[in-house]
Amino acid sequence: MQEHDTIDRRTVIRLGAATGLLAAAGCLELGGNGEDPDEDTGESTEDDDVTVAPELVEVDDPPAAVYLPTHREAMRMLEPIEAGEFVLAPMLSYPHPFWVIAGGGTDDEVERVDPDDGRGVHMMFTLWDAETGIVLPADEGAQIRVFRDGESVGSPRSPWAMISQGMGFHFGDNVPLPEDGTYTVEVTIPSISTTRTGALEGRLTESRTATFEFVYDDEFRHEVVDGVEYFDEEYWGRPGAIGPMDHGEHGDGHGEHGDDGHGEHGDDGHDEHGDDDHDEHGDDGHDEHGDDDHDHHVPYSALPRVEEYPGTLLVGPTSDSVPEETEDLPRSGDAAMLATVFESGFRLADGDERYLLVSPRTPYNRVPLADMSLSVTVERDGEVVGESTLEQTLDGEYDLHYGASIADIEPGDSVTITIESPPQVARHQGYETAFLEMPPVEFVLEDR
Amino acid sequence: MTLSDRSSLSRREYVRSLVAAGGVSALAACLDAVDGDGASGATDVPTGTDDPDSLPERQHAWNDALSSDDDGNVALPEHHVLVALSLVDHPDETSRETVERAFETLERAYEWSNEGLVFTIGYTPSYFERFDDPVPDSVDLPEPAALTDRESPTFDEFDALFHLASDRPSVVLEAEEGLFGECETVNDVSVETGLSDVFERLEDDRRTGFVGDGLPAERTDVDGVPDSVPEEAPFFMGFRSGFRESQATEDRVTITEGPFAGGTTQHVSSMDIQLEVWFDQENHYQRVSKMFSPEHAEREMVGDHGERLGATSELSDERIEATEADARERGVVGHAQKAARARENGDPLLLRRDFNTVDDGPGLHFVSLQREISEFVRVREAMTGADLDVPFANNGIRHYIFIDRRGNALIPPRSLRSLPPANPTRRT
Repeated sequence: MQEHDTIDRRTVIRLGAATGLLAAAGCLELGGNGEDPDEDTGESTEDDDVTVAPELVEVDDPPAAVYLPTHREAMRMLEPIEAGEFVLAPMLSYPHPFWVIAGGGTDDEVERVDPDDGRGVHMMFTLWDAETGIVLPADEGAQIRVFRDGESVGSPRSPWAMISQGMGFHFGDNVPLPEDGTYTVEVTIPSISTTRTGALEGRLTESRTATFEFVYDDEFRHEVVDGVEYFDEEYWGRPGAIGPMDHGEHGDGHGEHGDDGHGEHGDDGHDEHGDDDHDEHGDDGHDEHGDDDHDHHVPYSALPRVEEYPGTLLVGPTSDSVPEETEDLPRSGDAAMLATVFESGFRLADGDERYLLVSPRTPYNRVPLADMSLSVTVERDGEVVGESTLEQTLDGEYDLHYGASIADIEPGDSVTITIESPPQVARHQGYETAFLEMPPVEFVLEDR
Repeated sequence: MTLSDRSSLSRREYVRSLVAAGGVSALAACLDAVDGDGASGATDVPTGTDDPDSLPERQHAWNDALSSDDDGNVALPEHHVLVALSLVDHPDETSRETVERAFETLERAYEWSNEGLVFTIGYTPSYFERFDDPVPDSVDLPEPAALTDRESPTFDEFDALFHLASDRPSVVLEAEEGLFGECETVNDVSVETGLSDVFERLEDDRRTGFVGDGLPAERTDVDGVPDSVPEEAPFFMGFRSGFRESQATEDRVTITEGPFAGGTTQHVSSMDIQLEVWFDQENHYQRVSKMFSPEHAEREMVGDHGERLGATSELSDERIEATEADARERGVVGHAQKAARARENGDPLLLRRDFNTVDDGPGLHFVSLQREISEFVRVREAMTGADLDVPFANNGIRHYIFIDRRGNALIPPRSLRSLPPANPTRRT
């Protein structure tokens, strides 16, 4: 566990309680016409000023990069549920916009999803492997069914694979609810078909179902609406990211460890401090702040740091130093592209070949960018000596990456990673303008 | 089942809700609604024939009898009922005779057409188990099975499935009630023998639905059907379907060998469709990409609800072959291009007669005819696209489809439609 006290605080955007929160932000209220009385029971649902969500404050014209959003959402954490080899932690917030993508990064292929204005929740869960603690960033078609008093509410749905700055990789969707009450949710997790290696090999092959309950009422709405933290306007839209939320709290904004946004706000150059203090895979203590006494721990989907990858890290052709931090890696569409070549004999390589591992991640929180299509071209003296697609792989040690066995690669070779399609995962605010247009990234294998 | 309150629904909506409810009181209400509606006219229902031999030997020979749209695509009747039946006693000559006379009564009463009635009766593997002989090898009729790890469907374990279809809601109701209920006449033809002594009707497994331009958009009163269903669309997902060139011919789905030659196999799956996400979260471009192919979206080949497509979904060989590359390079593949990969020499293997439903929220009863059930399974595998390097949410329309039930049946030729033995060459 990192000691976040060692962080050079001058360079950290601390978006939290210490930042003057905007007072008295407005709220969205249900109009008196959005509700229909329940005809079966003759009850009419009270529709007087039910506040479903806080006011939506957005960044005008955000940059085509990861940027600091206007606020941190509040959410209610439910007890994690074990289901076979899986564990999932459900979380509930108020309905809010997100962006879905099907294809490249053009306007037609990306769609902003706005919630309807009725009652409902943004329903999320983080899914991880019980044994390794690795968050499973694989869209295999999980299913959610919502029930109330034994009757299904709406049609079943497959939650979207999503990334958000505070939550990392998770599954989520806005789920409308007809009225206040107790709801039961049945989540079906299919087996994982993504290539699995190391400690994950041959595992996670059984589909499982988990069930949880929640109450949707005034108390819940107050909790998630009043718990929203708006940041000081001077930070909105700046390159940077809010840190992982403290999963032990009700998302109330503690634990802003500044792993993000260093040097992103005018006083750059402070790259000497370790930029991460959030936990890796749940196998080391979560950043406890000493002020939360929760007893369940939800891992955050952070990939290992740069120094944890062996092999020869590839560098940009004009780079004069080897990147030490994720933030220093070459970018494409603002994704930090870690690429390293393992020596022969590595367990993922064929025979005596070497293994190219590419690990695209968000630049500040190291969230894996799943469901991309990547390929590699190796050139020597201007001639192509090798080409291959890279296979998306979930490894027990290196987590999500894209890999290929490489027969012929030598120091001095130029290695180009081409992004055939960007990450096909939905995004929360602050990520929706990044990882879309992703030009190829050129690297060189240095002789080190 | 209580009938809907007429005052709160449009007339079309009301009669469709009556079809879903079923029963003699629904029929009475339906006739009342139709007859009492001078303007849209309760015209006479065309009568059928006294000469059973004038009807095709294939029960599934509907296409020539049905009308077509302007592009020459077969237009399925608007109203459908699937009646699940359980046999009361082991079949014998008496019960076979009863069943045959009942079906002939329907054929006398109603013209074999959209305006009258078309129907099929199919028998499940459970039905055939009661015989000493197995079904001959010339018939491929396995027990239904889950086809992906994502589904855990209920299986049709009853004995027979009776599929009725007509443009007139009162006809499907009356025909069903005539055979199994309390109607003494069907289209003024008296019913001498019903089927109640032979079959038990399984109310819980009764399924209903509809197909036709504008019908889905009228269902927005149902929980789970968003207001954004396109006005003109014949199917819930907003696009035309059943293009002539995407459908197998009746010949292609007909069994050619053995005692059941002239018959076909039927797979029926029932599924929920997540329409709110489909219409309110995706945009039209994404919907076209996922329903047809990303190229259909890019080249604007479809139009709002498929009106730019004629008798074909415009799936060139090139587009079908591009499926794998689209998965990788575009991150999304279309349902139609995936499924078309199972074509043989360019010919589709399935003849689909599916229809939408609101039996249990918005959904689809997918009725597929094919020579062999294994051909259905093959097409379904192509549609699943487990081989494709594409995330689940962008793998055609899988993100929106939730399979609830599956069932397989043999639809024998007309001459064997009444309680056939498993192997008719050896009467048992």
